[in-house]
Amino acid sequence: MNQNLYQPINGEIIDIIDESPTIKSFVVVPEEEFRFATGQFVELTMPGEGEAPFTPSSSPAITDKMEISIMKAGRITALLHECEKGQKVGIRGPYGNGYPVDDFAGKEVYIIGGGVGLAPIRSLFLSLVERIKDFKSVVCRYGAKTPADFIYKNTLFDSWQKIEGVNIKLTVDQADGQWKDNVGVVTTICAKDDVDVKNAVVVICGPPIMMKFATMKMLEFGFKDSQIYLSMEKNMSCGIGKCGHCMLGKYYVCKDGPVFTYDQIKKYPNIWD
Amino acid sequence: MRIVFLSDLKPLLSAIAAQMDLYIPKNAGTHYVYDRYDPSADVPVEVNHIRVCTPSKEFLFPLRELAAVFPEPLEPKEIEPFAVFGLKDCDLRSIEILDKVFAEKEFEDPFYVKRREKMFIISSDCSDPADSCFCNVLNGRPFAQSGFDLNVSKVKGGFVVEAGSLKGEELLKTNSELFSKAGDDVLAERQAQRAETQKQLEQNNADLKFDAPVNEIVENGQDSDIFDQEATTCVECQACTRVCPTCHCFYLYDTKKDDYFSKMKMWDSCMRIAYAEVAGGANPRKILGDRLRHRFMHKFSYFLERYGVDMCVGCGRCVDAEAGDVDIRAVLKKLNEEFEREGKNKAKVGK
Repeated sequence: MNQNLYQPINGEIIDIIDESPTIKSFVVVPEEEFRFATGQFVELTMPGEGEAPFTPSSSPAITDKMEISIMKAGRITALLHECEKGQKVGIRGPYGNGYPVDDFAGKEVYIIGGGVGLAPIRSLFLSLVERIKDFKSVVCRYGAKTPADFIYKNTLFDSWQKIEGVNIKLTVDQADGQWKDNVGVVTTICAKDDVDVKNAVVVICGPPIMMKFATMKMLEFGFKDSQIYLSMEKNMSCGIGKCGHCMLGKYYVCKDGPVFTYDQIKKYPNIWD
Repeated sequence: MRIVFLSDLKPLLSAIAAQMDLYIPKNAGTHYVYDRYDPSADVPVEVNHIRVCTPSKEFLFPLRELAAVFPEPLEPKEIEPFAVFGLKDCDLRSIEILDKVFAEKEFEDPFYVKRREKMFIISSDCSDPADSCFCNVLNGRPFAQSGFDLNVSKVKGGFVVEAGSLKGEELLKTNSELFSKAGDDVLAERQAQRAETQKQLEQNNADLKFDAPVNEIVENGQDSDIFDQEATTCVECQACTRVCPTCHCFYLYDTKKDDYFSKMKMWDSCMRIAYAEVAGGANPRKILGDRLRHRFMHKFSYFLERYGVDMCVGCGRCVDAEAGDVDIRAVLKKLNEEFEREGKNKAKVGK
């Protein structure tokens, strides 16, 4: 028998962290060795129910377990939100290309995130800070709906901000009484002089509408299409470029992505929908 | 490779059926369907004049199949050798297309690959193309060009049988008592028939001509509202994609039994509204015209760019099957007209 790419490996959820009213992080231990590159995704199976694609939010350097942050958005994610520690799951993957971290060396990495889009970005962020000296700087702009919707609150507001070479700014769409920082969509905290446009790459991950406007803003700032890295959210099912669900123009997002530069995909219809 | 003459088809089919399951076309009145060959049944065996109605992909990529069992993986059932009689050039070309997807190195679909290895292909010449057949405009022929183990052509008083692979050659050798030498007369007859059928196809499709390679015509029209207009006659029955021998979309779903879970693989259709929808509700192709546009772009542009071949073989099954009124030939014709018009406009601007 050739290797069966549809066969999940068994895993177990050993911890569940409430991140926000709609997002939980699941710590998953695969029964077999499982390595991924930052930005790659996995298909997580709720046994007997179905599977869905998620990009792990933990560092690829941790190989005995991975963290996956999941927003309650559909049937499978709702089931995952209901489950408890000890839940058995299936894992297929990892799939796709991931972020080309080595290509970012010597540059400023300008990360723009929104909502649960911080999950893949966290994995990238952790990969970058593990070798922070290789990069000129890591500049992060992140927006959530309300202060309660921020995820990774412990590290986001504290330890991450203290890392040398890292600059983080946060915003919310809607403030509460405690929030003293910026109010507005994430592009309102992006400024042209955040990074040196000539020697930087942009990484954008978040809801489609946010990615669209962040991309437009970056083009305004003078970034080239090829400097803008986008994590595309499509309906990845098989993960191996066959079933067709995730097609974006000629690309299979599962195999050729999920990370694309804007110049690769801009000519195709409805990329933000 | 060897070419021989055979006076009666049944002894050859029975010899094959003695070694493996054999599927043959059964005349169902208006069309053909596949049926298991039973050597003991007293039914005449005929060479189907056109492709069987159901798509050849069913033999390699069934409507529904078990893709995985867990937590304890199940050793999948061994696939026994099987043979299919009556595949046409369009079918062989569609298998070549599916090979590119499912037998792609590093991303092999193990179920497809296994069946493909065990499949023995006995193709046959077309003799009376259907109104919907248009393979000739997409490099197809009414006779097998390659990809067969044996090919059968009906001639007066018998059949010309040609080997197209070592497996086919072997089968001719081990059953040599069934065959005699194929004389120049029957070979000439085969050639004349093929030319005649080709001519008939060309006449049938005389009004379907392209002014440039078909991918350029479709790419030129990708933003055209032709797709939106054509889609108004689509009733979203999805028959076009089900019956298409090259369409290979599928979805994976999970089921549970008492002590195990399984992952199933089942045909899907890019014409279905929720096909590309994600959990958050975003859907790049929620509009029917966009789904039709994507289907054409996939078939004639994206697939060609990736794999070097069109994903349409011109079998016309979709034309016969659909409940609505979208005719792939009519859409291509309109796209070509637009290409011609715009080409002239572009030429004017150029001046």
